[in-house]
Amino acid sequence: MSLLHATWLPAIRTPKSSGRPAMLVWADTWRVASPNGPNITPAKHPFSLDIKELRTWLQEINLLPNGIIDSSACLTLPSQPIKKQGDHGLKWTGLPLQAGEPIPKNCEWWPWQVEGLAIDPAMTAEWLSKLPLSGKHPDLGEEIRWWSHLERWALSLIARGRWLPQVELSKGAGYPHRARWVPILNREDDRRRLEELASSLPLVATCALPWREPAGRRNNRTTRLRPEAMREANPIASCRPRSGRLRVANLLQDLVDAQLRTQFEPDIEGLDPLLLTWQESLSSYSGIISLPEEDIERLAKASNHWRESITGNVAPARACLELFTPKIGEDLWRLNFSLQAEADHSLKVPAASAWASGSGVLQLGEIKVDQPSEILLEGLGRALTIFEPIGRGLEDATPESMVLSPAEAFILVRTATSKLRDIGVGVELPQSLSGGLASRLGLAIKAELSDKSTGFTLGEALDWSWELMIGGITLTLKELEKLEHKKSPLVQHKGAWLELRPNDLKNAETFIRTSPEISLDDALRLTATDGNTFKKLPVHKFDAGPRLQNVLDQYHQAKSPDPLPAPEGFHGQLRPYQERGLGWLAFLHRFDQGACLADDMGLGKTIELLAFLQYLNAEKELKRPVLLIAPTSVLTNWRREALSFTPHLKVYEHYGPKRCSNEISLKKILKGVNLVLTTYGLVQRDRELLETIDWQGVVIDEAQAIKNPKAKQSLATRNIAKQIKNKRFRIALTGTPVENRISELWSLMNFLNPKVLGEDNFFRQRYQLPIEQYGDISSLKDLKARVSPFILRRLKTDKSVISDLPDKIELTEWVGLSEEQRLLYKKTVEQTFDEIATSPKGQRQGKVLGLLTRLKQICNHPALALKEKNINQNFINRSTKLLRLVEILEEVIEAGDRVLLFTQFAEWGHLLKTFMENHWKCEVPFLHGAISKNKRQLMVDRFQKDPRGPQIFLLSLKTGGVGLNLTRASHVFHIDRWWNPAVENQATDRAYRIGQTNRVMVHKFVTSSSVEEKIDQMIRNKEQLAEEIIGSGEEWLGKLSVNELQNLVALEEN
Amino acid sequence: MSNISANNSDINTALGEEGLGKQTWWVEQWMELINSYRFKKRLERAWSYAREGNVTSIRFEGRRVHARVQGTGEDPYKIKLWLDVLSDEDWLYVLEALTQKARWSAQLLAGIMPSDIERAFAASGKRLFPFKLQEVRSECNCPDKANPCKHISAIYFLMGERFREDPFVLFQLRGRSRARLLSDLADQRRKLLDAIIRKKLKESSNYDYTKNLHEESSKAPHSAILNPSMWWKYEGNLNADLVVITSSVDGNTGLNSAGVLPLAEDPKYPNAQEKFLNHLHKEGEKFSQHAMIQAMSTKETI
Repeated sequence: MSLLHATWLPAIRTPKSSGRPAMLVWADTWRVASPNGPNITPAKHPFSLDIKELRTWLQEINLLPNGIIDSSACLTLPSQPIKKQGDHGLKWTGLPLQAGEPIPKNCEWWPWQVEGLAIDPAMTAEWLSKLPLSGKHPDLGEEIRWWSHLERWALSLIARGRWLPQVELSKGAGYPHRARWVPILNREDDRRRLEELASSLPLVATCALPWREPAGRRNNRTTRLRPEAMREANPIASCRPRSGRLRVANLLQDLVDAQLRTQFEPDIEGLDPLLLTWQESLSSYSGIISLPEEDIERLAKASNHWRESITGNVAPARACLELFTPKIGEDLWRLNFSLQAEADHSLKVPAASAWASGSGVLQLGEIKVDQPSEILLEGLGRALTIFEPIGRGLEDATPESMVLSPAEAFILVRTATSKLRDIGVGVELPQSLSGGLASRLGLAIKAELSDKSTGFTLGEALDWSWELMIGGITLTLKELEKLEHKKSPLVQHKGAWLELRPNDLKNAETFIRTSPEISLDDALRLTATDGNTFKKLPVHKFDAGPRLQNVLDQYHQAKSPDPLPAPEGFHGQLRPYQERGLGWLAFLHRFDQGACLADDMGLGKTIELLAFLQYLNAEKELKRPVLLIAPTSVLTNWRREALSFTPHLKVYEHYGPKRCSNEISLKKILKGVNLVLTTYGLVQRDRELLETIDWQGVVIDEAQAIKNPKAKQSLATRNIAKQIKNKRFRIALTGTPVENRISELWSLMNFLNPKVLGEDNFFRQRYQLPIEQYGDISSLKDLKARVSPFILRRLKTDKSVISDLPDKIELTEWVGLSEEQRLLYKKTVEQTFDEIATSPKGQRQGKVLGLLTRLKQICNHPALALKEKNINQNFINRSTKLLRLVEILEEVIEAGDRVLLFTQFAEWGHLLKTFMENHWKCEVPFLHGAISKNKRQLMVDRFQKDPRGPQIFLLSLKTGGVGLNLTRASHVFHIDRWWNPAVENQATDRAYRIGQTNRVMVHKFVTSSSVEEKIDQMIRNKEQLAEEIIGSGEEWLGKLSVNELQNLVALEEN
Repeated sequence: MSNISANNSDINTALGEEGLGKQTWWVEQWMELINSYRFKKRLERAWSYAREGNVTSIRFEGRRVHARVQGTGEDPYKIKLWLDVLSDEDWLYVLEALTQKARWSAQLLAGIMPSDIERAFAASGKRLFPFKLQEVRSECNCPDKANPCKHISAIYFLMGERFREDPFVLFQLRGRSRARLLSDLADQRRKLLDAIIRKKLKESSNYDYTKNLHEESSKAPHSAILNPSMWWKYEGNLNADLVVITSSVDGNTGLNSAGVLPLAEDPKYPNAQEKFLNHLHKEGEKFSQHAMIQAMSTKETI
């Protein structure tokens, strides 16, 4: 797969042209390349797409920009030096690294020639605003998202009118003067944004070297230039990795200028020649402005002066004023002058240090500040235009601080601070006056569950007390009244200075008058996020008593849930994290809150849920049937697992054409039944019937099935979860990171706890649009805080889980047969069986083998058994095994993991390859016997090394099972079973071997009740089948008696 | 007299009270200088000359002002204006005085003319601003023997405007361009600061103001050198403020804050600047609308 990159090509100005900057889009991909190095000019980037490939690919993914010209550039990229064979260190050779590739120890920076498409700046803005602002896109390099964010900022500046036109004088004799639109970055938030984008700049975005065609002649029409001219124009050099605010500010300026230039329509009516020319140049493509020298200087000076009156230059530091409260017993406030780093406002040095650095450079943490005294003085000069009293403090040559009267301090706190910050002067106020939430009058609350309370009802009132609090200091009502009487806006209390605002006082009075109660529900809400209010008053402090704290911690998942041991009657052992999962399910159950268990695949959600049901059963709380809804493909698995882990639970399957269809008989059947299994499809189809049952709870497995809130099966599922008369618990199971899929979250929460996210429309406006379209982090945080109490997700890599897990986890995936598979299986057995019984002994073995092979093929897919060559539309639904395989692979792919798929049937491999490539629109390599040795190595190398290589690797068990090193995979799938476990294990060890850093999950598919299950049993119970029999291949099959054979192949109906 | 002052106020309000308008003390001082002139009749004529656009050019070339005024003759008259230039020695005194008060440097760096700047010049016994009109030297090639003639007087009026445009023109006429002044000032300040450091070092051997000073040896390589994967990595999220893009809430655009363009108006094109700014405002609203629409049409996450 290719990855698209975007690198800025700075304008190269020559006396002949003003030069236009451009965005170079280019792409790299993984391929085999021999090391190369610069010669006369930098070497061609061996992994980059050429223009034609790039154009085709961009067209394919619908991202071809407008306004492009073919171009090439020289980029500095991290590279790995590699010695060529037979090369004695005379030459540089190596390869450029690609994004995501592991970084070698001996990394160097080399120039590489890259072909690409240069986009005009105005078109760049248009192109960027079509790209996603959040999330990872498989085709786009991460720096493109950085560009999108920069352009988004440019749009915001334009929308807010933060720009001015300017005239820039030429950089040297002969160079043109230019009219430019420049962004104005004086505002505090814009300055912070500049720092953010400068510090996070991915260097590939600006790694282009000045690259120009030499002034010499071209060889006819080819782009090949005379080498000596090329060398002169483009000496081989690498640019140093640089970043910084000035660079980013220039990029921003280029983007803003290009956009405004194209939109600006001059109005020349009644203008004098100066303004007229300026206007015209502001709308012209090149921006070149030609006026007599004296006029241009006047215009440049005037425009510069104009801009200067609101914003200074981009610098690494700024002047800062620090206000300190008076000492006890004194009146005057102290104001210190200091120098503050733009990148980190906590980095400050007193003015004395700036003065002391004299003509030198000042080090502010890691930041180097040139001319610190000049920056400080300029800032103070600006501050003076806003806050006049400062003038008094600047009478000295090297002032360090001054004092302010109480009235002046109040003006500074109340009005001047924000204005000062907006002209780029930092102001630091005492904590209690900083204007944040802490400086507002609010509450400090102490609460505890009442003595008789169990802590399990949300509405119950808590025992509580409160105090008023402001600026971190508590005060009694009396004290507040006393302070109010002082009639001064800034008052002193217990050594701190506070600002009393009329509105806050009013809210406090109302609060006191009504003397409200506080409920457990309120406590859960107030402790969920910072900055909550209770009855309009901010809650600064919430002290929960030990018992309440325990409930809060569990609820907010601040601590792991209290574990619950495996209940009586549960056959099997729970791992420690599974005990905690069980405890958590029980905890939310007591609150009557729906729970979503979203543990990573393989951690045993099924077991946890079964343990929970058995826990209810053991506590005598399981009185009515529980409905479990799952995709068809996992129904069999549930039945098998319930059978082995919770044999005391009575399980009924509501499935198949012969399922019960009327209310009376269903109710009769369900007497004494604990768990009813059914599918999403049937919940919708048998809606009316299923709604007549008084379910104790509804569990949905693979909960992403209801992700589309408007789909009929989602509606039916959510509907059946609603309580009618008796309480009905709701549990969802899923292995996908639900909390990251915003659009699916609503449907899930509506099933679990409808009140949490409100109605559909509200949710879309409040959360979905801001987060998905713009990646709004504050909305996302809020959303996560709301839903997180109800979602428990542990990953295989979590510290709390990792120690409980073995390095290799073996999972048996039980699957059933589709209707077509079942019929075909039965027919095949019947037809072949008579043949075998009547055939002579010599031919029997071959016939038996043929039958077994055919049955295994049917278990995989009817198309395989029927020797079909094409994939038809309904392909996936014809095999339950394939259905399940795809479901699991979806999760694995989303997690970014890599997978080995083993099959013993080459034809199945080909069909699967076609199907999967179609299904996921991705490449799936298939390594089998007919692939040449060279190609095999290439496939393996690519799988192991390509940072964006294929995630799925299909291998035939025989060819791929030995010798290869495929440690990049962390999942191994055995789609069909082989008689000999040693062969399977050998294949598994392609991934599970030295060099593997991840835990390996081995998925073995077994079709329940079929020959595959018998094979599985045989492998498990080795003692029943002598080692030598298995070891000797399949010959023993021929020696089976008819009865034994029948036993082996017959399809068991449950 | 009343006629002229009315005209004067016309000139002043042409630029409005906003922006740099409040710093126009030196423009006022210039106008007072002109008004102190005795021959009112000549001034009146000069004013109409200036207003009717007879002044075809004014150039500040180094320390001199060159101007052309279309008189009754065919060719415009050539006019030169200049002030006495301060010697390097005088400037040294001025610079020394200027560094003694941080406010002066602070204001000059921020592009503001300190209202008490004359006090720094007093140190050298000189002035920045001419005290009498006679200190403004001038030449005109018109036949009129009187100095100032009406052509020179016309320039006087327009000079006031030019001072508003760039107060540092005054420094230039006295022999220092703004750039030169600021760099001289910086040199002077460095000398002063170094002297202070030396003094403090002498006073106390423990003096540790230098601890923040940059040392070449501690120069750390760019973090991308240590971690080359930074070449490609960007994990930032879109800032919450950029999620929804709106126009300026308080109407405080760059144009509004910057106010009046400090560019003297060409009398032949009355209100040209107002038109220019109005048009920019109008276009700015268009830009803003366009940007908001574009921001809203952003694709959903693919």
